[in-house]
Amino acid sequence: MEKKAKKQKGVSLTLRQNLVGYSFILPNFIGFFVFIFIPVMFSLALSFSHWDGFTEIEFAGIQNFVDIFKDSVFRDSIWQTAYFTIFTVLFSVIASLGLALLLNQKIKARGFFRSALFFPYVASVVAVSVVFNAMLQPEYGPLNEFLKFIGISNPPGWLASTTWVIPGLIIVNVWRNMGYFMIIYLAGLQGIDQSLYEAAELDGANGWTRFWKITWPLLSPSTFFVVMMLVINSFKVFDLVWLMTNGGPGTSSTMISQYIYNQAFISWDYGKSSAAAMILFLIVALLTAFQFKAEKKIVNY
Amino acid sequence: MKNKFLKTVAFGLVTTMTATTLLAGCGSKEEKPADEGKEGEKVTLTFPVWDSAQNLYLQDIIEGFEAENPNIKINMVDVAAADYMNKLSTMLNGGNDCDIVYVKDSDSTPSFAKKGQLEDLTSYIEKDGINTDKYISYDDFNLDGKQVAFPFKSDYYVLYYNKDIFDAANVEYPTNDMTWTEWGEMCTKLTSGEGNNKVYGGYLHTWQACVENWAVQDGKNTILGPDYSFMKPYYEMALRMQDAGTIMDYSTLKTGNIAYASPFQQGTVATLPMGTWFSTMMITKAEAGETDVNWGIATLPHPDGVEAGSTVGSTTPLAINANSKHKEEAWEFIKYATGEVGSAALVERGQMPAYQDETTLDAIAAKEGMPEGSAEALKTTNIVLDRPIDSKSAEINQMLSEEHSLIMIKEKPIDDVLTEMGDRAKEIQGK
Repeated sequence: MEKKAKKQKGVSLTLRQNLVGYSFILPNFIGFFVFIFIPVMFSLALSFSHWDGFTEIEFAGIQNFVDIFKDSVFRDSIWQTAYFTIFTVLFSVIASLGLALLLNQKIKARGFFRSALFFPYVASVVAVSVVFNAMLQPEYGPLNEFLKFIGISNPPGWLASTTWVIPGLIIVNVWRNMGYFMIIYLAGLQGIDQSLYEAAELDGANGWTRFWKITWPLLSPSTFFVVMMLVINSFKVFDLVWLMTNGGPGTSSTMISQYIYNQAFISWDYGKSSAAAMILFLIVALLTAFQFKAEKKIVNY
Repeated sequence: MKNKFLKTVAFGLVTTMTATTLLAGCGSKEEKPADEGKEGEKVTLTFPVWDSAQNLYLQDIIEGFEAENPNIKINMVDVAAADYMNKLSTMLNGGNDCDIVYVKDSDSTPSFAKKGQLEDLTSYIEKDGINTDKYISYDDFNLDGKQVAFPFKSDYYVLYYNKDIFDAANVEYPTNDMTWTEWGEMCTKLTSGEGNNKVYGGYLHTWQACVENWAVQDGKNTILGPDYSFMKPYYEMALRMQDAGTIMDYSTLKTGNIAYASPFQQGTVATLPMGTWFSTMMITKAEAGETDVNWGIATLPHPDGVEAGSTVGSTTPLAINANSKHKEEAWEFIKYATGEVGSAALVERGQMPAYQDETTLDAIAAKEGMPEGSAEALKTTNIVLDRPIDSKSAEINQMLSEEHSLIMIKEKPIDDVLTEMGDRAKEIQGK
């Protein structure tokens, strides 16, 4: 009797400990379940259905996927998003690493420059859009005024041209991103042991060699993080494009996320919208998985 | 460890992408009105509306109605304009969650009607012997022989002009019987100056409606196409005027986010085809001392061979939820709101009612701040709906807006874009 009670008490103690543990994660878990897991599963189900938001939901098989791949706007949106992503990632890495290297030097007003460069990242995207719409204005915008000043007689039409609209958006996006990723690179730079540079200097390595042989390899974990975040964020880009061009002119800057939005909230076709969302999910998931696979080769320590 | 992280990342991705798309789709069911009164007792009607603080006429009408019908109480459910149509759909799906249906995007009326959510009003109208001739767009809400909604509020395009610019250029004010060709010529005469002092004879806003509406004005074609060749002359006119500098350049307007109101209110534009809602904006601005433009209104120019007074517009209707328990009472309200008293309340707040007779236009014209001669200018012989009552209207409209910009920035020749519009319209409509 005595023994049994003791045993029971022991069991319930573990259970109680577990329950306490679960109760700590419960709020988060409920939030995740209600606001993420259920909607995602619902979206998955919807991608195989026809639904306009108020009539009955009908099973559609893979019809939505067939339809969106037949839709030239969707196919274009994939390429446009990829184009936007590749160059955003490339230029953001160059710009943020460059700035980090510069601001890692002992220069005057270093703190000021660091905060100033970080500022675009915290600025409201609405304000950024308004300012850059004016900056990129084809007729009297400061950027084209400058281009004319340095002798380019026929500067691009930027957001008013189907060719230049994505480069224009890339410029704005890189400008917005670089401050944040500069901070990450700065942290990475400060983690590099100075004695390595001293040793290299003794061996007669010049600045360029020191960068390629020490800084760049040792920054690879930072670069890995930066590239991954940039790829994910660029594929999902919505607010900036929606505010600056609303996908235009024509559909030349319509990204996948805006296609999803348009299908859901303009065409009221939740089925096609969810199908496109699933494809975007798949693309981003595959890219992320690929990056993790490649991590071993890319990251040096 | 790495696998676990991968999973976390994957879940994170799912979240961000789909959560927003979905949340709007699964709105919660509305609370039922507390009052489910029996016959003869006080009845509460649920009436979903959008942005009631900016649409004060609603409150005016409800107060007037409740004073006349002490046994009926109207419970306004205020929703933000952007969420309104979603919310309304949810309420209608819930059965009798609302009694009076105020259809913001009138082109979605058939979707509701198709689902059997809108009461056929024919018998109510006949019983009360309402003269439906006086209502703008009345027949547009008659679907398959059923009057599913009743016109309440209306807006249509007219031509605004700046009298001072006309006087300075020694050009006669626009008449109420002008063709688009004549308008184009007039704009040339009114254009003057350079740089910051430039005055434009005309102004076409960046909405595709401000070119395409003139093409559907004759009532022969609609924006549903799918053959869009009928729009060509109007695009040619717009590009011609843009090249000649008699209207502002589309790219400048678009990239500069320029709203149509400011150029006109700053006196840099001589004529502006715009909706009747702009009168209210002009009066408000003038009262606030932010514009001193000496403005006038003329009837919208019309295509060659079309009767003067034909214009383009849209009408917002009221309807009864087919599942409502208080249809008779809901009809009483609709009758009141769309009738003489309700219309007068709209006019009082500077809105154009769908119910119109001689006194209505005179009352609008007599409002303080309205220019002389408005009553004549506001007279219409026919109003074509800018977006036909069709479930695909919104989607087609989005497509047209995309293609419109390609013509206006001269990325592609007009013919190519019109063909492209046709192909996409067929795809959207499954033709």
